[in-house]
Amino acid sequence: MEQKKISGAEALLFSLNAEGVDTLFGYPGGTIIPLYDALYVHADRMRHILTRHEQGAIHAAQGFARASGRTGVCIATSGPGATNLLTGIADAMIDSTPVVCITAQVPVNALGTDFFQEADIISMTSPVTKWNYQVTSAAEIAPAISRAFFLAGTGRPGPVVIDITKNALVEMLDGFEYEKCKELRCYNDHPVIDTDALERAVELLNGAERPLIIFGQGIKLSGAEKQLRELSERGNIPMASTVLGLSAVPSEHPNFVGMVGMHGNVAPNRMTQQADVILAVGMRFSDRVTGKIGEYAKQARLIHVDIDASELGRIITPEIAILGDAAEALAAMKRTIEARDRSAWFGVAAEQFALEQREVISKDLRPTKERVTMGEVIDGVARATGGDAIIVTDVGQHQMEAARYSRFARTRSLITSGGLGTMGYGLPAAIGAKIAMPNRQVVLFCGDGGLQMTIQELGTVLEWKVGVKIVLLNNSFLGMVRQWQQLFFERRYSSTPMTNPDFQKIADAYEIHHRLVEKREDLAAAIGEMLATPGAYFVEVKVDEEDCVFPMIPGGAALSDIMFNESL
Amino acid sequence: MENREYIISAFTENHPGILFRVASVFLRRKINIESFKVSDSPVRGISLFTIVAVVDEAMARVLVQQINRIVGVLKSSYYTADGLLSQEVALFKVRKAILRGDTFEQISRKHPLRLLQMNGEYLVLRKSGYKEEIDALRDELKERGLLMELSRSGSIILHRETVEKSMDGIL
Repeated sequence: MEQKKISGAEALLFSLNAEGVDTLFGYPGGTIIPLYDALYVHADRMRHILTRHEQGAIHAAQGFARASGRTGVCIATSGPGATNLLTGIADAMIDSTPVVCITAQVPVNALGTDFFQEADIISMTSPVTKWNYQVTSAAEIAPAISRAFFLAGTGRPGPVVIDITKNALVEMLDGFEYEKCKELRCYNDHPVIDTDALERAVELLNGAERPLIIFGQGIKLSGAEKQLRELSERGNIPMASTVLGLSAVPSEHPNFVGMVGMHGNVAPNRMTQQADVILAVGMRFSDRVTGKIGEYAKQARLIHVDIDASELGRIITPEIAILGDAAEALAAMKRTIEARDRSAWFGVAAEQFALEQREVISKDLRPTKERVTMGEVIDGVARATGGDAIIVTDVGQHQMEAARYSRFARTRSLITSGGLGTMGYGLPAAIGAKIAMPNRQVVLFCGDGGLQMTIQELGTVLEWKVGVKIVLLNNSFLGMVRQWQQLFFERRYSSTPMTNPDFQKIADAYEIHHRLVEKREDLAAAIGEMLATPGAYFVEVKVDEEDCVFPMIPGGAALSDIMFNESL
Repeated sequence: MENREYIISAFTENHPGILFRVASVFLRRKINIESFKVSDSPVRGISLFTIVAVVDEAMARVLVQQINRIVGVLKSSYYTADGLLSQEVALFKVRKAILRGDTFEQISRKHPLRLLQMNGEYLVLRKSGYKEEIDALRDELKERGLLMELSRSGSIILHRETVEKSMDGIL
């Protein structure tokens, strides 16, 4: 208990410290000045990273959270500052990312008067937050912050908004006391797992000829990487990942058969359709994963493990629904899982991989044409880093190629906007990831479209000397939309060609080492130099303008309808 | 699955913002709410939401799952009208012409009701009962050209089990 009088803003700062927060991403404004004043006075307690836009602040907080597993924190002023966070909040909600957003609000007696820079952020963020709360007095600050961190980080993580009226920031308190929130009666962060259901699930797996584990980000969120691997190894069961699950299991693991979904690997998509039992863990049957739902995994008896009760049966009704923590459920299942010879089943994976290798991968990675492909660049980075880097992406073609051709040796090594598909996510998320994990190599892949949505964050790289490696895969197109126009709209390229600035000059203006690669023979050296150079580095690769990402399962098609090239 | 009237109940903390979130669950799926009522429950600090919507059972289940997910909701469930005791109360403002002849007697014999107030211009009748009974009185008054105004409570429900029991392990 600190006895001397403190302001609400100081109480907020001390509360964040009590939650172990040492870094904030934010942007000042009129209403939030009292908090920035406290940050100035107590600079030793908190590092504030000034981004160049509030959207950059929240994406950085998301990248920070996803790289480290700690809750990311961002702050913004009232009105436009707060509304600029919305896209990131929606992104964090759909991708289960723990972030706490603190927004300033007009004084309590001015609420609802259309006061200067007033926006009703509680109403606006209600559908896209796990929880939100408006604080109107200084005394409420500490309890609200403790609830915010408890709710953001436990159960299925998600974003929380704490909106604090200006009067609460300046009011004085007679001291400071902080109690960490450990439970709330209206919220169950740790459901007790139904052991009968677990037993039935193991029985089903033990009897299966062709079982398949499909895992999602829930593995990382629960810290269930080891339990997943052990269950798969002991039961001799192949495992496949969603985009967000990638890196939870090393890419080279012999039981890992690849990524499912629209641009996923052929083997796990085909195996989904052939499996007799599927164990789905910490994933939510996104339409990008299932394709046409009526045709999805029709042969399979389904076991679904998730900590969010609302996911069980929302898209597909499983035969066995297991509500609870993935690590706990998998550890319990491991005890009675039996190994079976599944060489024929693993043979399907090998055969389908060989097909994909022939039809797609060899063309992507060892092309005979002149222009460089995105796949070559991503593969080059994967080789040069030995799969040890944190890969961050923006959204679009390069994102899918990065998911396909990156290799991962460690968990939490792919940070990408999955559910919302937020262009502009990449650069700020990479900044946040690098700040959270300064000793890891962080490589951002982005396109020329997405980079320009948040390109101002190069200013953040400059100011904070963030050693992020930026790889721009420039095809002078909004490539993924163009791919759909190419394949499904008879090449009517409506508003997808881009007239771009000289990105080399832009990198130069921000004092970032930069290099342009137009020829294949320069690629390896550029990647090597990028990784070897301390600090930030910007490599722009001019890639083929009309390449498409294959394989592809067109939207709404069944998983079996895989396109390998434009004509199929 | 066919659409029918479902009653969705939710016990929640009595906090600002929860109503907004519950309503959002319906709005997001463009589901019209037929009636929506919040009142206190026998447990201090806990509110009871009663919402009526016309959906199929799969949707009723999804709506309840989504409502249960809201931080601040203790427990949400769905019922059909025969699954719990559901009644309504309605106040009818009627023209004093109802007093001509034996009209009032006829109506009140058919639809047990109570006369609450009378003045020179109109009478106020109170009727409680099943939704269908309220509908029947409304239709009859309308047909006879007597109805001036109607205000109804929406469904008020009683669960088969006590609140304490239904929230066993939560409270």
